[in-house]
Amino acid sequence: MYSAASEEGCHLFNDFGCGFEAPGTDLFFPTPWLDFGLPYASGITKYTLVLVVALLISAGFWYFTTRNSKVVPGRGQSMAELFVGFIRDQITRNTMGKEGDKFLPLMVTLFLFIFSMNVMGLIPGLQLPVTSNLAFPAVLAVFVFVLWNAVGIRRHGVGAHFKARLVPGGVPAWILPVVVPIEALSNFVIRPATHMIRLFATMFAGHLLLAVFAAGGWYMFNLFGAPNIGLGLLSTGFSAIALIGFLAFTAFELFIMAVQAYVFVLLSSIYLGEAMEGAH
Amino acid sequence: MNERTDARDGAEPPRANAGTVLSYLLGGLAFWGLIGWGADRALGFDTLFLPIGLLLGLVGGIYLIITQYVRS
Repeated sequence: MYSAASEEGCHLFNDFGCGFEAPGTDLFFPTPWLDFGLPYASGITKYTLVLVVALLISAGFWYFTTRNSKVVPGRGQSMAELFVGFIRDQITRNTMGKEGDKFLPLMVTLFLFIFSMNVMGLIPGLQLPVTSNLAFPAVLAVFVFVLWNAVGIRRHGVGAHFKARLVPGGVPAWILPVVVPIEALSNFVIRPATHMIRLFATMFAGHLLLAVFAAGGWYMFNLFGAPNIGLGLLSTGFSAIALIGFLAFTAFELFIMAVQAYVFVLLSSIYLGEAMEGAH
Repeated sequence: MNERTDARDGAEPPRANAGTVLSYLLGGLAFWGLIGWGADRALGFDTLFLPIGLLLGLVGGIYLIITQYVRS
């Protein structure tokens, strides 16, 4: 994916007369391998492949770490247990209390699945985070949104759930016409939207940033094609800076990928906790 | 990652998170601003109800933040 400039052999000082072409949003619209001609569908693209790989990784993690569970855990099993314990102590117990334990499997699965989808952006050869396409975070966020409603309705009934979400407590009746629409828009539109966009936008921007670093480094790397050796050295030096930036940001991006998976799961469980709590 | 994650033991302070606060502000501006804009269009004013709507939405959003997360 980082070959936008390399495909034409474009380098600074080349005779081809090609300028630097920064990687753009076309990175996120890969050519479909198999197009069914359905409206609003992208067909089978690279996203499908990376999604399947991410799915296999997250499923494989659980298969290999838990297939011989023992009372005294081995290395794989204790890793999985640490991970589950981390999600439980840091996320579900904090936001939902003991009751949150029944959502623990969901949260653990969400975290690992989102993290492996994000990490696809760093795997050489694939290098496309699945979550950089809004459709994938959207499905997860809508799923959490539906679950949030289901949990609230089951716990408090339809009326009480929507009343708690629409009518803020401690507000005089004459102000309600002003604030109820705001609550409705905030809870039922903006919140699920920001939930999906936060994950999508960070992965999108991070991937684009890495692509620009890599393409810039590649473009400026032309030691011998320059008019004189001084310019060649200068351009290669800048290329090295860009490539070091690429490596540094790759490491940083890995951190961001974990943080974004964490934030998505944390917000999901804050929402679910709120639905269980009812009116506040 | 501006979310506050206070432990929920004991007195349970209401937990504001940046997302909720932002969505109140945005929701207020968007909803009442849209109503104001629609009123302008419908009644043939150039710009009268749009600022009024935006202001009402902003006040409503801030009021909601205060009642839900500051005062309680």
